[in-house]
Amino acid sequence: MSIYLRNIIRFIFLVLIQVLLLNKIPLRWWTAPGSLPPYTPFIYPLFLLLLPLSTPVWVMLLSGFALGITVDTFMDTGGMHAATCVLVAFLRTRILTTLLPKRLSEYQNTAPNIKSMGWTPFLTYSVVLLAIHHIVYYITEIWNFQSVGYLLLKVLVSLITSMLFVVLYSLLFSSSINTTYYDK
Amino acid sequence: MIKNSNTMQGADIVSSSNAVAGYVYKKQNDVVYYFQLKRLNDSLLNENARLRNELSALSDIDTFRDVTARIPVTIKDTTTKKDSAGISLTPTGAVKIIKYADFRYIPARVIKNSISNDRMNYITINRGTEDGVKKGMAVVTGNGIVGRVEHVSNHVASVVSVLSDRKVSSKLSDGTSGLITVWNPGTPEYVVTEKIPLHIKVKRGDSLFTTGYSFFPENVLIGTVSKIDTLKTTSTKNLKIRLSTNFRNLQYVYVVDNRMAKEREQLEAQNKQKD
Repeated sequence: MSIYLRNIIRFIFLVLIQVLLLNKIPLRWWTAPGSLPPYTPFIYPLFLLLLPLSTPVWVMLLSGFALGITVDTFMDTGGMHAATCVLVAFLRTRILTTLLPKRLSEYQNTAPNIKSMGWTPFLTYSVVLLAIHHIVYYITEIWNFQSVGYLLLKVLVSLITSMLFVVLYSLLFSSSINTTYYDK
Repeated sequence: MIKNSNTMQGADIVSSSNAVAGYVYKKQNDVVYYFQLKRLNDSLLNENARLRNELSALSDIDTFRDVTARIPVTIKDTTTKKDSAGISLTPTGAVKIIKYADFRYIPARVIKNSISNDRMNYITINRGTEDGVKKGMAVVTGNGIVGRVEHVSNHVASVVSVLSDRKVSSKLSDGTSGLITVWNPGTPEYVVTEKIPLHIKVKRGDSLFTTGYSFFPENVLIGTVSKIDTLKTTSTKNLKIRLSTNFRNLQYVYVVDNRMAKEREQLEAQNKQKD
């Protein structure tokens, strides 16, 4: 499968998962027991995270905007996801350069995933970017600094569940994880 | 009383009422719908029973008795008539009055629901301009309020729910009106009514209704008082209201077409021009 087709399919697939499944999670009362505020896990930024390493910055920014505005359309948030996604797309390059040993342009045809990076670096990378995404998104959404505790609680709960789904996604959809079986 | 402000999002295209998003949500709802039929049946049965009780109590009184002016509901007379020579005439098209009503209810199915946003929660319904839904119409359920239509396309509409910064003009069951109810973010179950003078007697369990000042029809239940906070410093009371609408599982809603709305808006616009 060509790299373009693969990413377009992933775009559609992740947006559909986000919109049709994850956005329904806060509707169930047992997802937020007690006085926990209703929260939504976000898995769709994973599309930006999984783009090839050698993607030029302008493509990153454009695809970030396209992704954000698509999700905005479905969630009626009118540009908040778009703004957040453009920021994430911009910061991705910075974070990858600090995490990876070589220059990004030297990685041809590799995407940041569990196989190419290994579990720990990949999870660090996705936690950092998703945390940025969640913090920026919830700040723009709540836009009220009187209740910082509430904001942090919401970011934290949302981030933990998002990471759960990111790990699940990586386990399910990377056919290329190094699983070695030893024959006796 | 009526908050007419626009949302921060002005553009209609970036909203779930556009064709593509509406299509996706409709397709999903067609699938999920079957799994909710049992619960839906129960809720419709309850509502039916309630309406039957109400009807028997008010059999010869108009339900919206406080409204003074009434607009006739009309139909075109399409029965063919024959003249004395036996030649059938085309339908006359004469207007015939059937009954009087101020509100028309358009049933709609909720195809997208959201409660987790902190400032604006939107609901998408599967009725649009072709079904008579217009911007600014009120949306209610069988036993509570839902919100107001914000964006409309041909077959889908998105509704700003009460879970937003939109204020609702409300009154207590004893008739104390002029209260303003607004959502307090963090939970989809409660709204708050603030700054009630101390002399007004409220107790837990009292009901709160909409008033005729707002875009909602009059006397629609908002919820019941679940907590009363007395503030000595400002000598006011704050009420915490438990919403009668369960926003977590909204399935059917009614869009309220107020036949008086246009006339009323024109009148109110005249007042504004004079000011």
